Amino acid sequence: MGKLSWLKNKLIGREADKGLLFRALLYLLLVDVAFIYLKPVIYMITTMVKDASDLLDPAVIWVPTGIYGGHLAEAVKMLDYAKSFGVSLSVSTLSAVIQVISCSIAGYAFARLDFPLKKLWFAALLFTFIMPAQVTILPSILLFKELGWINTFWPILVPTLFGHGLKGALFVLIFRQFFSTLPKEMEEAARIDGAGALRIFFKVMLPISRSAIVVVFLFSFVWAWNDAYFPSMYMFGASDVPLSVGLSKLNAQLAMEAQEGGLRAFLEPIKMGASFLIILPLLVLYAFTQRWFVEGVERTGLVE
Amino acid sequence: MSLLPLKPGPGTGKRLGRRKSPAARRKLEGSLFIAPWVIGFLTFVAFPLAYSLYMSFHQVRITVTGVNTSYVGTQYFREILFADGGLLYDDLFPFLKEALVMIPIIIVFSLMIAILLNLKFWGRAAFRVIFFLPVIFASGQIIGEFIAQGEGSLSIITSLQMDAVLANYLPPSWAGPIGNVIGSFVLVLWYSGVQILIFLAGRQTISPSVYEAARIDGADPWSTFWKITLPGMVPFIFLNVIYTIVDLFTYPTNPIIGKVTTENYGLSSALAWIYFILVLLFIAIALAIYARVNRSLSPRKQ
Repeated sequence: MGKLSWLKNKLIGREADKGLLFRALLYLLLVDVAFIYLKPVIYMITTMVKDASDLLDPAVIWVPTGIYGGHLAEAVKMLDYAKSFGVSLSVSTLSAVIQVISCSIAGYAFARLDFPLKKLWFAALLFTFIMPAQVTILPSILLFKELGWINTFWPILVPTLFGHGLKGALFVLIFRQFFSTLPKEMEEAARIDGAGALRIFFKVMLPISRSAIVVVFLFSFVWAWNDAYFPSMYMFGASDVPLSVGLSKLNAQLAMEAQEGGLRAFLEPIKMGASFLIILPLLVLYAFTQRWFVEGVERTGLVE
Repeated sequence: MSLLPLKPGPGTGKRLGRRKSPAARRKLEGSLFIAPWVIGFLTFVAFPLAYSLYMSFHQVRITVTGVNTSYVGTQYFREILFADGGLLYDDLFPFLKEALVMIPIIIVFSLMIAILLNLKFWGRAAFRVIFFLPVIFASGQIIGEFIAQGEGSLSIITSLQMDAVLANYLPPSWAGPIGNVIGSFVLVLWYSGVQILIFLAGRQTISPSVYEAARIDGADPWSTFWKITLPGMVPFIFLNVIYTIVDLFTYPTNPIIGKVTTENYGLSSALAWIYFILVLLFIAIALAIYARVNRSLSPRKQ
């Protein structure tokens, strides 16, 4: 009897996360899902470096016999990588930096300051969050056309200055949530010392908001980097396009060539190479910041 | 959304002349902080919103001299809702049904993963890094490439011929969308990046001492989950439902989004508005369910 219960304890455990059986199941599940997440990336990389004989050989699936850089070089050329990369990097960095500043200011106001019609504006914030961009896209195009900003970056960058832009409302909500979980004592002490709201915000609040800043910066950067909808709507005629738009142009071009009789034998490796080139910078960025990011998510109280 | 703004109590502003000025000053400071956002809201949200509502009732012609509009009443709305079914019903309804199936799957899956990732086990840090990958990819066109690769499907489902089974047991109008969701099940996992993050952050808000107490009282893991973890996660589940609705409905792969074009401003605007009202409807349903769940939980909570 004693042995049996010892065995049971060992297998099932006293707590949910202690038993051996549970552990095995946990790892099985996590490894499975991790595999699902990693597989396309691995596929992308291996397909990209396969040469012609590897691609035709049905025995070669995951491990190519050699590394061939031709497809990647082709993708670099077709995407006009150096230029598009510069465009993507500057647009994403600028909008992420600006959104961190403008959204944190608005979020701080919603969390701690008093102003007229506060409830109404908060409802407006929630409304902005749930509204699909398609509802306002056409008038926005007309508005920016009127201003002469079509085919420039201004339609993407100017709204971020005001705490709007891509997912701006979500970032304001994250900052509001973060600031309202902070203790009030520091601000009150600073206020008694005679500091104004601006001073308190920049000297006291922002320096202790690293975790929220990291989370918002990364989200904003990644989403701006990946977004193809707004650039394709506002910059359809521009020659300097971000990588995300470059990818859809590349796809269209490849499809057209395939229809005309196929100049290229292999479309897949080029597409994979292009995809890889687009997410590579994000992977590098994530590799460097993931520690702060994970920690930041836990601390921000990203949520109510 | 329970946190209320801190308001000056009744009378703080009135007591003395000297007292009044700091309160007024604070209001001024607050207004200064919120002003850019409000200006942005009026220019980039409220104005386009009103204008698109206006356009949905008008025929819009863009000419060299400017924008010409002529009133057509509810013609476009009638056209979309009653006359031309192809624009709305053929694309939107299968999508809505898919969304209805996908939302619970995404929520349950991400809750499960978040709870698992919250446990202490060897290699947790590495798994977390991997599980946040969807946040990086899933927002862009890369996901389209993955679908094209056939990464969305699970081979086990094709080998079991799930489609045929579904078609036998479900009405045809539902078998298609559900079959699609199952067929692209992996894709559902790809949509769950941010949701896992939200649940992970939410799980941190339940204090470990509650679990400690439950353990001392001899509660088994099963009832601990149902009695402590799940009720504590209800607000986050709700938040995630809202987030998932918003995210799914504004996703680039969404069929309706491609339909809103500059070809016919009036018709597109009407379509966008109908779509928006549907989004609001979904959110209202989620809110109603949340209110009901909350009410049934509250007597036990406090």
